[in-house]
Amino acid sequence: MRWLALYLRSRRVPIALAAVVGCAAVMWSLWSTFSNEREVGVPMVILTVLLLVAAVTATLAGPDDALERTAALSWPPRRAAHLLVALAVVVGLLLATLVTGARFGPAWLVIRDAAGLLGLTALGAVTIGAARSWFLPLGWTLASIVFPLSGVTSSEILTWQSQVPGNKTAAVTAALIGVGGLIAYAAAGPARRAPAEAAL
Amino acid sequence: MNRILGIELRRSAAAGSVLMLLLAGVIMLYVAPRRWSPGWMPLVMIQREYLVLLWPLSLAVGAWQSRREHRSNVAELFASTARPRAQRMLPTLAALGIAVTCAYLATAAVAVPWIIGTARYLPATAFVVAAVGALAMIAAAWLGLALGRLLPHVVTAPALAVAGIGLLMVLPAAVRHREWLALIFSPMFGMGQYTDYQTVYGRVSAAQAIWLVALAGAGAVLLASDSWRTRVAALLPAILGASLAIMVIPRDDKFVATPIDPVAQEQVCAEGSPRVCVSRVHSGLLPEVVPVARQALAMLAKLPNPPTTAHEDTTTYYPATSPPRQADVVLMQITVDDHGHLTHEADMLREMVAALGANTDGCSGPSPSVPVMRAAGSWLMGREPVTDDSDESAEVNAEAVKLWQGLQNLPEKEAAARVGAVRQAAMACADLDGLLTGRAQ
Repeated sequence: MRWLALYLRSRRVPIALAAVVGCAAVMWSLWSTFSNEREVGVPMVILTVLLLVAAVTATLAGPDDALERTAALSWPPRRAAHLLVALAVVVGLLLATLVTGARFGPAWLVIRDAAGLLGLTALGAVTIGAARSWFLPLGWTLASIVFPLSGVTSSEILTWQSQVPGNKTAAVTAALIGVGGLIAYAAAGPARRAPAEAAL
Repeated sequence: MNRILGIELRRSAAAGSVLMLLLAGVIMLYVAPRRWSPGWMPLVMIQREYLVLLWPLSLAVGAWQSRREHRSNVAELFASTARPRAQRMLPTLAALGIAVTCAYLATAAVAVPWIIGTARYLPATAFVVAAVGALAMIAAAWLGLALGRLLPHVVTAPALAVAGIGLLMVLPAAVRHREWLALIFSPMFGMGQYTDYQTVYGRVSAAQAIWLVALAGAGAVLLASDSWRTRVAALLPAILGASLAIMVIPRDDKFVATPIDPVAQEQVCAEGSPRVCVSRVHSGLLPEVVPVARQALAMLAKLPNPPTTAHEDTTTYYPATSPPRQADVVLMQITVDDHGHLTHEADMLREMVAALGANTDGCSGPSPSVPVMRAAGSWLMGREPVTDDSDESAEVNAEAVKLWQGLQNLPEKEAAARVGAVRQAAMACADLDGLLTGRAQ
């Protein structure tokens, strides 16, 4: 238990959790205030998932990764568990809104986008570092919300975030990115940074 | 100062953001070149529309750059130096401002060679529209810098981008019928092209520029401020700019909802006769239009009192305007392809001849009889009537073929007289039935 508390503190999980809940609360209240509909608009749902995943990125690296690696602990399962719990928090928080007055659904879309975007973020954390890991998810998702394409497989892959929930191509793309990110992050961990950038 | 700026340009997020914004801008432009290939004004306006993505990204770039001191753990060290904060922030502001402006203008520059051979009409307004777009990018980057400094957390930058795109997408619906309000506060509103003659009026650009300069100023003050008092004071330019912009912007529909440039619509004519004219915005296509138009005029010349001039059809639906109806003028539909060249020439020719050179715009009552028009048009073109509408019943074309055969069996002069009568009747909005039949005189 003591290890877990120290780990969570070193990854600044409390503040990240506060950011996740805060972002979700802001989006929830925005929709509740300005719309009479119960079902939240799909672009808003995707943007909320993106925002929550971005808030999670802060926890993907610790203050001193080089030191962490020297510990006699098996990191891969712990890193994988970290990502899975993050996914559960994001998805759980949004699915909880399904019983409230502003429903962030459909559930399948939330799960697909959260898994895919979290995987993409984890891939970013492995390659360019946790602090920059939101670059690609943000740019890609905004583009796919503004220019949603459908019909051709290649365009469905390119804009998988904004496809309808039942779309198989988008689901496969998200699953591949998600699993890829999970494996890469579990195996390699966050990218090593210059000491000057150690503080996130 | 210049040395510091040079270092800042190399060491900040400037270079990376130029690459990223340029790449995003160029991809968006070249995914659908048909939207901007007709000319310079469409190009700069479509680029403004793509601010829907570039503007939020610019905000994120600013916020990301602003976290650098926090990330490097030097905030306390820098605070202990004697150099005033405002002076220290100037190179960062300049570097990021230069970066986003370069990215925006370079995106336009990449599109220039694509249409330089066909686009002719380059009004000063085009430069103003592009300049306001660059200003919007600067304002976003500086605002991002300021907000990123106030909230130095990793989620600030993506959250700002999400808020920015949310604002741009929601604003048109939020202002309801007060579209002029969206026109001030959203740099991309109203930039989609529904006709090639569209423009942005000078006063609208002026109001947008006032607001964006004020916003950029507020961002700069906020970034340079040391105390809460100056931070609150940063609201002043924003409020001042917003009220001034609201006073300046015209609210008439003519300026806001349906801005058309009459100079772009004017007809420009080719040398030689018969006269062939296209709108100024399409004047680069004249060499391609002239042979087709003259071929159509030659076919129509078989008629008594034939039309002698071809003009481009400059009809716009918002506002609903159409060129005047003149007996000696045939209208033609100019369609532009992805590369800015004339396309569907065969359709253009067929439409000009099939309408017998008669402009029936504004006729009320039932539409002119399809079989009669088609038979007359086919006689002029010298080929059997064919249907171009798969939903049409077969009887319509059979009727047209019958009428056409009747015309073929008549002496040339008599047939021309009858087709001429159909043309006169169509122009007078009269009934066409029975004009092709009857005994030979």
